[in-house]
Amino acid sequence: MIPDNGDSTATALRGNAEVAEALGRRYAAGFVTDIETDSLPPGLSEDVIRQLSARKGEPAWMTEWRLAAYRHWLTMPAPHWAKLDIGPIDFQAISYYASPKNRPKSLEEVDPKLLETYDKLGVPLHERARLAGVAVDAVFDSVSVGTTFRKELADAGVIFCSMSEAIREYPELVRQYLGSVVPPGDNYFAALNSAVFSDGSFVFIPRGVRCPMELSTYFRINAGHTGQFERTLIVAEEGAYVSYLEGCTAPMRDENQLHAAVVELVALEKAQIKYSTVQNWYPGDEEGRGGIYNFVTKRGDCRGDDSKISWTQVETGSAITWKYPSCVLRGDRSVGEFYSVALTHHRQQADTGTKMIHLGKGTKSKIVSKGISAGRSSNSYRGLVKVEKGAEGARNYTQCDSLLIGKQCGAHTFPYMEVKNPSAIVEHEATTSKISDDQLFYCRSRGIGEEDAVSMIVDGFCKQVFRELPMEFAVEAKKLLEISLEGAVG
Amino acid sequence: MSQPSPSPFVASQLAAALPQSGVAWLDAARRENLDAFVAAGLPDARTEAWKYTALRALAQRSYAAGDAQARAVDPAALALPGVAGPRLVFVNGVYRADLSRADALPAGVSLQPLARALRTEAEPLRFALARRYREDGDAFARLNAALAADGAVLRVAPGAAPAQPVHLVFVGAPAEGDVAWHVRNVVELGEGAALTLVEHHLASGAQAHFATLAADFVLRDGARLRQLTVQDAAEGATLVRHTGLQLGARAAARLHVLELGGSLVRHDLRALLAGDGARLDTRGVFALRGRQHADTQMAIRHQARGTASDSVWRGVADQRARGVFRGAIVVAPGADGSDAALSNKNLLLSAQAEIDTKPELEIYADEVKAAHGATVGQLDERALFYLRSRGIPQAQARAMLTVAFCEAVLADLDLPALREHLAALLAARLPGGAA
Repeated sequence: MIPDNGDSTATALRGNAEVAEALGRRYAAGFVTDIETDSLPPGLSEDVIRQLSARKGEPAWMTEWRLAAYRHWLTMPAPHWAKLDIGPIDFQAISYYASPKNRPKSLEEVDPKLLETYDKLGVPLHERARLAGVAVDAVFDSVSVGTTFRKELADAGVIFCSMSEAIREYPELVRQYLGSVVPPGDNYFAALNSAVFSDGSFVFIPRGVRCPMELSTYFRINAGHTGQFERTLIVAEEGAYVSYLEGCTAPMRDENQLHAAVVELVALEKAQIKYSTVQNWYPGDEEGRGGIYNFVTKRGDCRGDDSKISWTQVETGSAITWKYPSCVLRGDRSVGEFYSVALTHHRQQADTGTKMIHLGKGTKSKIVSKGISAGRSSNSYRGLVKVEKGAEGARNYTQCDSLLIGKQCGAHTFPYMEVKNPSAIVEHEATTSKISDDQLFYCRSRGIGEEDAVSMIVDGFCKQVFRELPMEFAVEAKKLLEISLEGAVG
Repeated sequence: MSQPSPSPFVASQLAAALPQSGVAWLDAARRENLDAFVAAGLPDARTEAWKYTALRALAQRSYAAGDAQARAVDPAALALPGVAGPRLVFVNGVYRADLSRADALPAGVSLQPLARALRTEAEPLRFALARRYREDGDAFARLNAALAADGAVLRVAPGAAPAQPVHLVFVGAPAEGDVAWHVRNVVELGEGAALTLVEHHLASGAQAHFATLAADFVLRDGARLRQLTVQDAAEGATLVRHTGLQLGARAAARLHVLELGGSLVRHDLRALLAGDGARLDTRGVFALRGRQHADTQMAIRHQARGTASDSVWRGVADQRARGVFRGAIVVAPGADGSDAALSNKNLLLSAQAEIDTKPELEIYADEVKAAHGATVGQLDERALFYLRSRGIPQAQARAMLTVAFCEAVLADLDLPALREHLAALLAARLPGGAA
């Protein structure tokens, strides 16, 4: 309720107490599943990579590919340009391979404890998966433990399996596309990933096929001290369509866990790929201890004319998020989209955004980024829109809005625009503000509690992005934001 | 990162003896800044502040240190309409009493060449001149701090408000070879003082000199500055400017910047809104063609409560020109009630031209309003169609719209005679213009 004298300071102080209480809430998904894992000892060397590759039963070319990437990685300096404060990472203290023992052959054989874990998280793995029409390739630590709907997908000609399996079963396809969007030496963390990637998803949609269901992978980091190095590759042939969902939660840990994933998307002529992410890894405690380091390279290549790649992300977790899902608009009239909500709280840091590289004629891109900072966090949008000489008639529209909640957080915007074609139109708009007192007052005068009002306003702020998400994800995203932000107004 | 041997450019700058002032702290600062310049060399594209401006070609050139001769300059060429107040003129970096007008100064105004000010009372200049430049991209600030022997020292007493604008003129004149010169200005406005200042760069003939100008402005509480920069250097000239502004409580500065000439032009504009309620308005435009390269790096820091900044920048790049703009706004922790806005719009007129722009916001306080917008594009087809449907030929219609696009930055210049002159100057530079 509003005090009678209308003293806004009093409201603010009381608000602060509520905020502190609501924000102090424990990480709801923080628990550890007790499953034996078969791991390599910590450390990184050519030997470790050979062992890792051997355990996964990979062909020689794959081992060599990894080793080449590793040798290149050794020559690279760790990047420092992002607006992030990163403690030194001891790459030798990380175990690069962990897989649950007793590999199950099917979902029925899956360790019930594991399924229980998924249940706690509300993962639509089996019944729910069927009901929701979602096929799940769940990555528990580093090896896929269950894959559903394989048959239905196979009937449509869609390949959806773990990367390890793809390397064994479809080596030609993997060899053709792996590293063709993000080359092994692309950047420091992509090189590391190329050397040690554990597993991930492989999706191949053949010519003219519309994938009959939304594909979904839940990543989950479980074993302590295990870096996760997912490698995902999605190829959509001419005229194909696929919508892919990626979601993550991780149990509470004390030490920083490194996550350096690489996601590559290839869209051939008239193909469309929609990639949605909800990321809710452990962000560390109130003082920023623990939490995941999330250094991701995601890039889509609109290789064919009239192709389209759309990234949607909701980033609420991780101690440090460093990722820029990008589109290389190579084909004429190809379209790239990026919709993002990034929320940081306590001591979280996020430096995220996108790159749109316009190469083909008539290419279009749209960027909508919403950043929300609370506590003592730092949240940056960093984006590049580049129009090369040949991109006749290229068009970009970028909108970046930041919302500040509290006096100790930071919200930053670093958009780069490089235009070399005189027929291109590139537009960028950005605003930064706090939750408006007027809006809050209006809601509260209608009898809506402070927490609900903030939640409503934040929800409205993010709506443009949420409506791009598949429905199940939109619900989850909204809930995540509410949990992270309830009552967060000062 | 250390270079094995200095580039021809660095070597040519080392050939000159450091200016000797006889003031110990100044000579020490000059030596240190020169050492820092030599140690770091010229920045490359890995330095963020120089990402879009390559100095490889400059690094291979050498310049004679300063110009020993007094070059003939036509005084009539220096005149600007509506600017009839005190004037200091520097030709190739050398002060020229014969062209200047610094006797009969208005009440409360002190204006003299830096070299003279250092001889009479150096101590008040210590804060500005004893500085060490430590940032990665500060190569030319260091070079200027080391080698600038002259410039303008301008002070306006508290409460004084001279009616006429002060005119600082920097002329590049043809010499036997390419010359490097460095100028340093120090401007201070006392409490409640008001001043209009015109910084004017021009050429008295074709040359390809290299020049740096560093200027510091300190505005005490309630001071008001109107500053206008007309940069019309020679086609071959390289010009690097550093402008630093510090605004006290309720101080207000309004800047207009026209970048017209030069081959390689770089301007670093850094403003600190240090006092509560300070306000800064910046308006700027570059009109580039040929192989011109202009790079403006503006950084505004809101340090105090209730500060405001409003920036409007326009750019036009034709032929093989390249325009670069960075507009960074930082709202520091505790700078509540800050209001920052920035608009940067650019026209790209040729397939060989390029525009790179980067508006930035760094916000550390929550009671703020901050917004920026940037565009790169072409003239509005509908506006063109409208004009053509009224019987205006294509070329003329384009020229009209381009001029209108740029003149937005002159709209609030409340010196009518000068505004008209500058609008004509600008129009002549744009496609379809006379020159």
